[in-house]
Amino acid sequence: MRGVEKRFGDVTAVAAMDLEIRPGELMVLVGPSGCGKSTLLRLIAGLEEPSAGEVWIGGRCVNEVAPGDRDVAMVFQSYALYPHMTVARNLGFGLQVRGASRVEIEERVRRAAEALGLGDLLTRRPGQLSGGQQQRVALGRAIVRDPGVFLFDEPLSNLDAGLRMRTRDEIAALHDRLGTTMIFVTHDQMEALSLGQRVAVMDRGRLQQAGTPHEIYERPRNLFVASFVGSPPINRLRLVREDGGGRLAGGPFVFPGRPPFAHATLAVRPEDLVVTPADGRAEATATAPEATAAPRATPSPLADFTATVLRAEALGSEQRLHLDGPGTAAWVARANPAPALEPGTAVHVSVDWARSHLFGPDGVRTGPAPRPAPASGPRP
Amino acid sequence: MSGSRNPVAGTVPAIAAAAAAAGLALLLAIAGSAVREARHDAAGDLARMAAALWELPGGGDAAVAAFLPERARIEAVAEGGTGAPADPGAWAYRAGTLEPGARIGVAAAGDTSPLPRTATLIALLGLSLLAAWAWKRRRSSPPSRYPAAPALLAVGLLAAVAGAGKAWADRELHLVSAGQAAHAARAVGVALATGAAPEIAPRVAGLPWATAAALESPGELWTMPREVAVALAASPSSPPGELAYTVRVRGATYHGAAVALRPAPSADTPGRAPDTLHLALLGYEETRSPAVPLAAAALGSALLVSLILFLLPLSARPRALRRTLAAWGFLAPAGALLLVFTFGPLLFSLWISLHEWHLVDPAHPFTGLDNYRALLADGSWWSAIRNTAVFTLHVPLAMAVALALAILTRGSRRAVRWARLALFLPSITSVVAIAVVWKWLLNDGYGLVNRTLEAMGPGSAAWLTSPDIALATLMAISVWMVVGYQMVVFQAGLASIPRDFYDAARVDGAGPLQRFRHITLPGLRHTLFFVLVTSVIGSFQVFGLVYVMTEGGPLGATDVAVYHIYREAWEFLRFGNAAAMSWILFAVVFAATWLHFRFLERRGARA
Repeated sequence: MRGVEKRFGDVTAVAAMDLEIRPGELMVLVGPSGCGKSTLLRLIAGLEEPSAGEVWIGGRCVNEVAPGDRDVAMVFQSYALYPHMTVARNLGFGLQVRGASRVEIEERVRRAAEALGLGDLLTRRPGQLSGGQQQRVALGRAIVRDPGVFLFDEPLSNLDAGLRMRTRDEIAALHDRLGTTMIFVTHDQMEALSLGQRVAVMDRGRLQQAGTPHEIYERPRNLFVASFVGSPPINRLRLVREDGGGRLAGGPFVFPGRPPFAHATLAVRPEDLVVTPADGRAEATATAPEATAAPRATPSPLADFTATVLRAEALGSEQRLHLDGPGTAAWVARANPAPALEPGTAVHVSVDWARSHLFGPDGVRTGPAPRPAPASGPRP
Repeated sequence: MSGSRNPVAGTVPAIAAAAAAAGLALLLAIAGSAVREARHDAAGDLARMAAALWELPGGGDAAVAAFLPERARIEAVAEGGTGAPADPGAWAYRAGTLEPGARIGVAAAGDTSPLPRTATLIALLGLSLLAAWAWKRRRSSPPSRYPAAPALLAVGLLAAVAGAGKAWADRELHLVSAGQAAHAARAVGVALATGAAPEIAPRVAGLPWATAAALESPGELWTMPREVAVALAASPSSPPGELAYTVRVRGATYHGAAVALRPAPSADTPGRAPDTLHLALLGYEETRSPAVPLAAAALGSALLVSLILFLLPLSARPRALRRTLAAWGFLAPAGALLLVFTFGPLLFSLWISLHEWHLVDPAHPFTGLDNYRALLADGSWWSAIRNTAVFTLHVPLAMAVALALAILTRGSRRAVRWARLALFLPSITSVVAIAVVWKWLLNDGYGLVNRTLEAMGPGSAAWLTSPDIALATLMAISVWMVVGYQMVVFQAGLASIPRDFYDAARVDGAGPLQRFRHITLPGLRHTLFFVLVTSVIGSFQVFGLVYVMTEGGPLGATDVAVYHIYREAWEFLRFGNAAAMSWILFAVVFAATWLHFRFLERRGARA
C-alpha cells in the first residue's frame, strides 16, 4: 500500500497510508471505532476507490481492478449472507457467478462445508442458523473460493465471549493450515494481540505503529499505542520539568537528568507495579502474575511510594486495584488475588521503572524513565 | 378472589340477559310496526276509494255506506278545513277534504297495536330461562361447565323470534293485501251499482291496480307489469264469481279480485270475457316484509349478547376484564363503522344480487342464482371482464418502469429530487383532472399530441376514438399515473437492503446484472408482491379514467368491469344484476390475489 488516501467529502478516513503486508502473513488492523481500519480493508477489497495512492496485491496495482477480480474474499461483520439462498447456494455463489461448473461448485462447497462442520446445514437458510453457524457460513463462503487474500471485517464482534474465543482459535488454525495472507480488522486490542502475527495500530486515519504483538506491547512507538493496547489501560503520569530533572506532579520524587521537554508523560503498565500491604508483613507480599515470570530489578526504596486502595475489583485470577497515589492520576495496579485488599488499606507500591515509558509532549516515546530520586521537599 | 366478593362478575350475566331482552323487544317491535303501518296505509287506500265513490254522480254518503258500512265515516269540518279530527284515536286515516267542509276517514282493520303472539311467547319463555340463569350466576361465578350454552341459547332465541316474527308479519301482510284486493273489487261493484259507466267505475279503485281489460285496450292508464296481467287473465283460479285470489308471477305474490262489469258474457265468446275486470295488487308481504330489518336486528343483538357473554370468563379477573373492556371500547367506533358501512352494505348487496331488483319496480322477487346464471351467458359482461384483464396488463409494465426509475433516481442530488417529485405528482393529482387534461391532449382534432405528431411527420392517431387502440391509450396513461407511487415504494424497499449484501456480492465477483438478479430482486420480493397485489386490485377497480375519457367506448372497447356495473345500476337501474356483477368481480379479484399469494409462497419456500 503506497500513500493510500481516502477522503469522504471533507473527512479524511485514511491518510497517507504506507503498509506492507507480507505474503502468508496474518495481519491485524486495530484501532478505535472511526479510525479508518474498515475503510482501509474496503480499499483493499476494492469496495472503495482510493482518492490517492496505490493498492498493490501480489505484485500488481489493483486500483483499476474490480473487487471480484482481485482474488480476495471478505467476511463481513454482519456476515452478509444472502437471506434468500440456502447455505449451499451462499457458499457457491461466488463460484456460480464466475461460471464454474455445477460439479465443481458442488465438490468445493462440500469440501468447505466439511472443513467447517457445516455438512448438516447445507439446505438451511441463514435465518434458520444461530449466530455462530452464520459466522461459519460466512467463513466458508470465503474459503470456498480459495482466494489469495482473506479479509475479515470484525467478524467476531457479533458473537458471545466464549464463541468469540473459539472462533479466534479456529481462524488462527485456518491460517496455519492454508498459509494464505489474511487481513483481520478489529477494535479489540486483545483480539489483535492474540491473533495477529503482526499488528497495525491505527488512529484517526493514520498508521500509528506496525509490528509484532510483542513490539507493540513492549515498545509502543507513541502514547496512543501505549494507551490503546493493554487492559487495564496503562497508567499515565504527567511530568513537569524542574531543577535536577522531571518531577511527577505532586509526587515525592524526581527523575534525574534533564528531559528535553517542558513536560512529558510517563506511562507504567499496571502489572509493573508491585503492591505490598503497608503493615510490612513479608508473607503478604503480592506480585503481579507477569512479575513472577519476568525477571525485574529489585524494588528500590527510593522509587517506591505509599498509596491507599480506593477500590478493589476481584477478577478471580487477579485483583485489580485502584490506588490513590502520588500525582494527579488514579493509579491502577494488578495484584495477586490474595490477600484481598479492602478499600482504605494503605499499601506500599514499588515500580519497575525500567519497564516504564517516557513520552515527549508530541506523544512520541523517547525511552524508559530513569530511576527517580527523592524530591528535595514536598510541594503543595 | 372469590366471585362473591366481585360485583362485576355477577352483573355480566344480568347485562347479557338485559341485552337479549332488548334485542327481542326490538325484533317484536319491528315485526309489529311493519304490520301496523301496512294496516294504516291500507286504510288510507280504502279512504281514497270511499272518497272517489262519494264524488261519483250517483254516489254520496249512501255509496260510502254501501262500500264500508262499519269502517268509514264522513264528518263535517269547520270553515278553513284543517282542524284536528274529532276522534284521533279511532281513525287510522283521513282522506283529504271531499268538498269544502267535509272529509272521510276509514278505521284500520284489526288490532292497531299488534304483537306476534307465538314470537312473544317464545321470547318470554327464553327470557325467563336466561333470567333464571343470570340469577343463579348473580352471586358467584364458578367455572361454567357449558360456557357456550347461554350464548347459544340467546342466539337461538333471537333467531327463533326473528323467524316467528317474520312468519307472523308475512301472514298478516298477506291478509291485509288480500283484503285490499277484495275491497277494491267491492268499490268497483258499488260504483257500478250507483250507475257509473263500466269505463269509469274501475277508476275508483285507483292505482296501482291492474285490469284485464288493459289487455284489450292498451291505452288504459293502469300500471301493472304485463306479465301479471297475462297471468291474471290465464289464472284458472280467477273465475268472475270468486271475489279474491292469489297469483305468483316472477316469484312475487299478487292479490287479485275479479268484478263483472256487465251482465253475463255471451256464451259464444271464447276464453275470458273482456267485460270482467281483474284487479291485482303486489302483496304487502313482498313490499313490506320486515325480513331485512329483522335479520339485521337479530344479527346485531346476537353479536352484542355474544360479546357480553364472551366477557363472562374474564369477569372473575377484574383487571383482565377492565383491560378487555377498554380494548373493546377503543375498537368499538371503528368496528361500528366497519359493520355499518362495510359489512352491512356488503351483505345487503349479496341479498340484492339474489333478487330481481329494479329501482322503480316495487316488486323485488327472489330469483336465487338467476342473476348469476344470466351473467355467465352475458357476452357484454365478459367482454368487460376481458377488457379489465387486458387493462391490468399495464401493472407489470408500470412496475418494470417504476423499478428502473427507482434505481435511477436514488440519491439526494437536486436534479434527482426534482425528478422524483415530477414523477410522483400524478399520484397525488385527482384522477378526473388527469383524465380531462389527457382527453384534451389526445383529442382527434385539436389535441396537442396529434398536432405535434402531424407537424413532425408521422401523422395523427385516433387515440381515444379507435376501438383498436383506445384501451392501450388508457393503459399508457395509467402507467404514467401509478409509476410515481410504485417508484417511491420501491425506493423504500431498496433502502432496506443492507449495503453489505452488495459488497459481499461484489467481492464474490458478481457484476451489476448479477447483483440485480441475485440481491436486488430477492431483496425486493415482498415489496414487489405488495405493489403487484395492490396495483392489480386497483386496476380491476378502474373507473374514473374510463368514465371521464371514453365512457366505455368506442364500441365497448374500454368498457371495464366497474364501469359496466355502474351503467347497469344507474343507467338501466338493474340493481340485482349490478350486485351480482360486483360479486363476480369480487370473486375474480379474490381468486387473482389468492393465486398471487400461493404462487409467491411456493416460490418463497423453494428459493
